[in-house]
Amino acid sequence: MSSDLKKLYSDIIKRHQEAPFHFEKKTDMQNTIKAYNPICGDRFEVYVDFDRKTINQLHFHGFGCAISKASTSVLVKALEGRTLAEAIGLCENFLGFINKDLKSNEVLLQEDFKAFSGVHDFPERSDCATLAWQEMKKFLESRK
Amino acid sequence: MTFPVHAIKSNFPIFTHRPELVYLDNAATSQKPLSVIQTITDFYTKENANVHRGLYELSSRATKRYEEVRKKVISLIGASNQNTVAFTKGTTESINIVAYSFLKKKLKAGDKVVISAMEHHANLIPWQQVCKESGALLEIIPVNEVGELRLELLDSLLDKRVKLLAITHISNVLGTINPIEEIVFKAHKLKIPVLIDGAQSVGHYPIDVKKLDIDFLAFSAHKMFGPLGTGVLYCKEALAPHVDPHTYGGGSIKNVEFEETEFLDYPHKLEAGTPNIPGVLGLGAAVDYIQQLDIHEAIHHTKNLTISFKDKLKSLGGITLVGQAQNFGSIVSFQVKNIHPHDVSGFLAHANIAVRAGHHCAQPLLESMGVPATVRISFSIYNTMDDVDKTIDAILGVKKFWS
Ligand SMILES: Cc1ncc(COP(=O)(O)O)c(C=O)c1O
Repeated sequence: MSSDLKKLYSDIIKRHQEAPFHFEKKTDMQNTIKAYNPICGDRFEVYVDFDRKTINQLHFHGFGCAISKASTSVLVKALEGRTLAEAIGLCENFLGFINKDLKSNEVLLQEDFKAFSGVHDFPERSDCATLAWQEMKKFLESRK
Repeated sequence: MTFPVHAIKSNFPIFTHRPELVYLDNAATSQKPLSVIQTITDFYTKENANVHRGLYELSSRATKRYEEVRKKVISLIGASNQNTVAFTKGTTESINIVAYSFLKKKLKAGDKVVISAMEHHANLIPWQQVCKESGALLEIIPVNEVGELRLELLDSLLDKRVKLLAITHISNVLGTINPIEEIVFKAHKLKIPVLIDGAQSVGHYPIDVKKLDIDFLAFSAHKMFGPLGTGVLYCKEALAPHVDPHTYGGGSIKNVEFEETEFLDYPHKLEAGTPNIPGVLGLGAAVDYIQQLDIHEAIHHTKNLTISFKDKLKSLGGITLVGQAQNFGSIVSFQVKNIHPHDVSGFLAHANIAVRAGHHCAQPLLESMGVPATVRISFSIYNTMDDVDKTIDAILGVKKFWS
């Protein structure tokens, strides 16, 4: 097994993929974000319990590769309880990190985010890592 | 005689440039032999001119060679009249032409179009859209658990309101080879024209449009060792007058006045504008390449690889084959327990093994089988038993990593 594959599938990613956070269908939630990738067939839904500019709770469900599943799980964990502004900031943070265009290199990355650094060696997988984050950012920005 | 796979592989320059490459995504596009590549560069290097235009030598030569490819194509598919072959961009465009420039004007509310559950999006969406636009119904021949058409239901689906039946010869996901002879026969009893999607079969399996009495045959050059961006729509003579021009412009006309245009006959009425001349010449070279192979030996070779791969795969355990039809081509779709197809293909890519993962442009099929995505492996004439073994080893590695 090569070292960059080991880095891609880091222990944190493996853990999130095996035991994803709040992985549960919530059809009663008023806001459902669809994170679909028509090219590979990944389909996640993120259920948002959102009120007055705060994300109370997040759940997600669906099907996708280890990278996309783990990154959605990390998203759910990182954004729960955040205000709109904080959540948008975190989305920018994560997306900037994956796409290697962080506006400021001073931002402190959460450990869970850093676990995705292996994607830098597999640019074809960056869509997997950013799928749910991009849709989430669009949603949050529409609520500003 | 053993199949000369190493000699064949040496005809494909990509393997000289990338000796480590194990290319198992042939259902997406095949690699190209040197003769095809050379034909295209030769055209641009030595003979570039437009067709059906100039009276000078280069142009008439280009025209002649372009037209000659129709003859090559008919000899490949068993047609006898070269004017049954129109050049298109590929299978997708060929099917769209039949949907919009043949079928649409005949469809009324309550009419039906019949396809199968195993169609590629290219042989589904055009029919779905013309049906929507005209109030017709799209009826689907379902697929059983092993990935075969449930043909026992065909009789009840076919009636006088069916205006066209469109079906794939070989499924690009399941590898199933469909009994198109029987299907065409049943449709023709009710005078229903049939379109065969030959994207996965033409060039690899014998097909005889005359013997099978196929009305329309659509296929792509790039899946049969030819260049990207070129394809064919075969249309039987009797239906050719009923196919209208699809795009309008020069090259497709007999006479133009400000009020009226008189179009050329099929196939020229479909080929408005400057065509993809090197693409068509490359298709001709691909047909030449195929015709110097022993097609039965080639089928035997890829079938051996497919069977051996399936056997070795199953013995790994934790594998689900998606599609286990009696009659199958050189495509294998599968899932590895608890590992997403994308993660499998990512690992294989790392070992220089090119395979496909996803829904393979057949989302409704996989959904109906309760499978969100598969890993797909597809063999061609240049693949070796070594490719099979390397792939099996790599899959074993993936399983170990995730266990
Ligand atoms: C069965 C089938 N039909 C149609 C197509 C579409 O072919 P093209 O993309 O060359 O138009 C494909 C290609 O993947 C196919 O496998």
